[in-house]
Amino acid sequence: MSNSRILMGAAVAALLAAAPPAQAEEMTRERIAVGITETIAGYNPYADAVVLIGSLWCKVYGCITRFDFEEGRMVPSLAESMEAVGERVWEVKLRSDWVRHNGDPVVAEDVVHSIERSRSDPDSMRQFVVVSIESAEAVDERTVRITTKEPDATLPDNLSLLPITSKRLYDEYGQAADRNHPHGAGPYRLVEVSVGNHMILERVDDHPMVSPTNPRQIMYRIMAEPEQRVTALSNGEIQIAQGVPPQLVARVDGLPNAHAAFANSVEMMFLAMNPSTHPWDVKEARQAAAHAINREAIVAALLGGRATLLDGPVGEGQFGYEPGYTTPYNYDPERGRALLEEAGLSGVEIDFYTPVGRYTADRQIAEAMVPMLEDVGFKVNLRTPEWATLWADVQAGGVPFYYMGRGQMLDPSRALRQYFETDSSPRLDYSNPEVDRLLQAERRTFDVDERLDTMREAMRLITEDAPAHFLWLHQMAWGVADGIDFTPRPADRVDGWDIHIRKN
Amino acid sequence: MSAATLGFRHRFNYLLAPKVVFGIAVIALLIAAAIFAPWIAPHDPARQDLMRAMTAPQWGGPHLLGTDHVGRDLLSRIIYGSRISLAIGVAVVLVSGAVGIFLGVISGYFGGRTDSLIQKMLEVFWAFPPLLLAIAIVAFLGQGLGIIIIALASQRWIPYCRLARAEAMALRDREFVVAARSLGASPARILTRHILPNIVPSMVVVGTFAMATAIISEASLSFLGLGVPPTIPTWGSMLADSRAYISTSWWMALFPGLAIFITVLAINLVGDALRSHFDPKLKNI
Amino acid sequence: MASYLVRRLIGVIPVLFMVSLMVFALTQLAPGDPVSMLVSDEASPEDRQKIVEAWGLDRPAPVQYLSFLKNAVLGDFGSSFRYREPVMDLVLARLPASIELAVYATLLAVIIGIPLGVLSAARPNSLLDNAGSLVGFFGVSMPNFWFGILLILVFAGVFNVLPSGGREPWGMDLPSITGFLTIDALIQGRFDVLWTALRHLALPAIVLGTSMTGIIMQLTRATVAEALREDYVMTARAKGLSERLVLWRHAFRNALVAVVTIIGLEFGALISGAIIVETVFSWPGIGMLLIQSITFRDYPLIVGLVLIYTTLFVLVNVAIDILYTIIDPRIRMK
Repeated sequence: MSNSRILMGAAVAALLAAAPPAQAEEMTRERIAVGITETIAGYNPYADAVVLIGSLWCKVYGCITRFDFEEGRMVPSLAESMEAVGERVWEVKLRSDWVRHNGDPVVAEDVVHSIERSRSDPDSMRQFVVVSIESAEAVDERTVRITTKEPDATLPDNLSLLPITSKRLYDEYGQAADRNHPHGAGPYRLVEVSVGNHMILERVDDHPMVSPTNPRQIMYRIMAEPEQRVTALSNGEIQIAQGVPPQLVARVDGLPNAHAAFANSVEMMFLAMNPSTHPWDVKEARQAAAHAINREAIVAALLGGRATLLDGPVGEGQFGYEPGYTTPYNYDPERGRALLEEAGLSGVEIDFYTPVGRYTADRQIAEAMVPMLEDVGFKVNLRTPEWATLWADVQAGGVPFYYMGRGQMLDPSRALRQYFETDSSPRLDYSNPEVDRLLQAERRTFDVDERLDTMREAMRLITEDAPAHFLWLHQMAWGVADGIDFTPRPADRVDGWDIHIRKN
Repeated sequence: MSAATLGFRHRFNYLLAPKVVFGIAVIALLIAAAIFAPWIAPHDPARQDLMRAMTAPQWGGPHLLGTDHVGRDLLSRIIYGSRISLAIGVAVVLVSGAVGIFLGVISGYFGGRTDSLIQKMLEVFWAFPPLLLAIAIVAFLGQGLGIIIIALASQRWIPYCRLARAEAMALRDREFVVAARSLGASPARILTRHILPNIVPSMVVVGTFAMATAIISEASLSFLGLGVPPTIPTWGSMLADSRAYISTSWWMALFPGLAIFITVLAINLVGDALRSHFDPKLKNI
Repeated sequence: MASYLVRRLIGVIPVLFMVSLMVFALTQLAPGDPVSMLVSDEASPEDRQKIVEAWGLDRPAPVQYLSFLKNAVLGDFGSSFRYREPVMDLVLARLPASIELAVYATLLAVIIGIPLGVLSAARPNSLLDNAGSLVGFFGVSMPNFWFGILLILVFAGVFNVLPSGGREPWGMDLPSITGFLTIDALIQGRFDVLWTALRHLALPAIVLGTSMTGIIMQLTRATVAEALREDYVMTARAKGLSERLVLWRHAFRNALVAVVTIIGLEFGALISGAIIVETVFSWPGIGMLLIQSITFRDYPLIVGLVLIYTTLFVLVNVAIDILYTIIDPRIRMK
């Protein structure tokens, strides 16, 4: 051992000799801390594009609907009911037992105001939520009538992302209301936001959604380093850790005071092959690439087995999942090689793009795919541009072949339209009139069973034509302290009413 | 014994000290490994084997230093990695050292406007966030080994410059410099004969440390597509790979780190000797 | 001296101007744009266009720059695209955390590195010298994240005696006066808070301090060894001064110019944010803010951050220049 290390050691030892145990934030019945990975913007509930934070604003302000994971569908939340009363007209009735934290009732005007603010607030990042809405009007104190531009079966899904803020407070204080008067009608009230660091919420004791076993206070704390999150879980600094990477799951499970819990994500991971570029304009090339990937081996080696293989864009629990359907593209390098040879493309050079550090083990997975693709006859250049560069390029349609994820797929309608409908975005530049017809029909269909059938047909068609090879859904691992009951949900929800602190 | 041979002994016998011999031997070995990598490496450094991912090191086993997250042989990757890593380390130190020392001694010796101008330029260069600079360079100049060396050197000349300036300022009014000036020596002569030799020791220190950090930082720039393709092994990229696996596969970080450590150590041993070679006080005996 | 000071401080203006211009140019050259990074993946082209206009990104680059400059002169650096808060508020809220960490790391490195370097120079090739060098080189060869995670695993995990990260625990209510937690605690006599703050500082400061210790030690060693061969040291010895006095009063003083320079440089690098250490320890400094601003192409935040830390760097340099004249009266700033 060395001198300077010894000196450091001595300094630390001296510091520690008198130190009490580090559990300054030991869990009490009262409060828990959650270690999260993504950053937190300011006070404006419309300004954050991060999924987890967006769901926190629904918890503070209340949103019209929410996804009920037990029932597997959207249910009214701040609304008592939400019904289609015409092809393009919806009626939302607000509940009377959710009142704002300052005692104000939630009124129909608030909904109209929130739709408007989401659309035109200069800081809003949530215009997409209300894009299909033509107009909204308050019919009476508690009833809102919403008219869409076209028939839109996905409106309830969209409105689960729209926090309902107070018109009165906004009229009185303007933007400052978000910071100084953040009175929502949700089950938790906002106590503190420290931009980029943490956010503290407090239980609203008499709210219908909460029970006494829910934590009284929750702190969401940003901890970017996985090893830190797991260590903080082990020594009681936090009680829930988001994003435990596959290689650390065993360590969490080995902790005496915590365990790992899993939730399927609703983010499809896929290989995109832009059919307007060569060689991906040749269907055999796309099929060869799909057959080349040994998904089982990758999931076992790099994801610790924690992923669900996909047979199409969606998996079990998502809307449109089709039990019994299996993808035609199993791992079959022989077949891949034959297809590529048939098309006269053996040895064709391709650029393969992957983000780095955006999805679980993304670069490592892409690295493992390189020899697999080369095995069937591609010559692969792996590219790892910085995320903003790659993302701008993907959105502009400049990337022919990439590994990517697409989240927010509880209902896949918006995502399918975005990637697979002609001219809806250049990121894949895919065009298939039959797919277009089915996707357009699906959006106009209000009958759930009929919509399901149309959606499934579209997805089968897309899967077989292979503009994208659908790989898997990650199982997101969470670390949960033993003293609390928490079942992680898909889509990164950490809702206070889902967390129960056990009585000793 | 004549004065000449005495001088010779003094100037070159440092080469025989065991530490220096060791340093030279290690450097020779590293260079040999880089050149003869295909013959020395036990495996193909790019060959993956997912079934053998993250195998621990084993004496006498197929993977002496273990394997990485996709089952590539670490020893082979370290051997091959020496090619790019050594080239980048040496080139960055030479380029940034030359620029920094040149600007530094001028700045310190002449002072005044020259100094003020060079220091302002230094402060401007210092301000660039390296990540942003790298992103812009990739977009504008493309990629390549030369470009990554320029990108790395673009800010690494600053420590040499500040330090050379400080020492030149301290030296410019010392007796021997004043004497040389009064005898009519040109500034160029004073700088090369009297200032430069005296700042060698500190430059050697900065250089050895800069070498290690250049090798490590190469990885982050290569990921951005600035340097070598991400599939080609370098010590820096191996260290970057290891980050996710520190608590589960310690060997992935330790061995490439040790490779850099040994390189820096050897260079320092030789550098230590080199600076006695340049020491004017010893030369004048 | 006074006129030198005034000139240096005025000199910061052209530097800042150049920096703002060049960083602005870099943001324009870099591919990617804030709108595609920040607006939802699902936003329509019209909505995007609206945001582009709201942020003024539809104007030609020179116009954008001039309007930035005009506001900046009045002290307004605009609002962050990502956080929707004024840039200055964001930066000033985080700067104290970065500076405080930098100060403690530097103190640690100086306290350990300088004595070790001087003693090594006095006894070259001794055990102390060799061991010190080995550690120094090992420290610089292993990346900071490695040492940082190791410390977290050992001191927060295995022994559970220090917090795993962050700057303060939840619910520490201390009115902020200076923004520097340890100083605020001292002023208000809150020794419990001081203790807690130091415990949070310990691990990140040790990581940063260790990598700095190596170079300070080696540089001290090299320059002191150099000075020990100088004539005046011989003279001092001949006069019968004790070896200790010769070493510290004469040789070390001569080495100080170089040592102070490197301390200034390292400290300067730290106040612009110790990105890896801040990430590993979730330390709320400006390093993480800078990385995020670059990933999101948050132009106002990038430029604001760079201008602030450039100003600090220039101030550090001026302070070092003044120190030179105190250390070595022969040095004069012209």
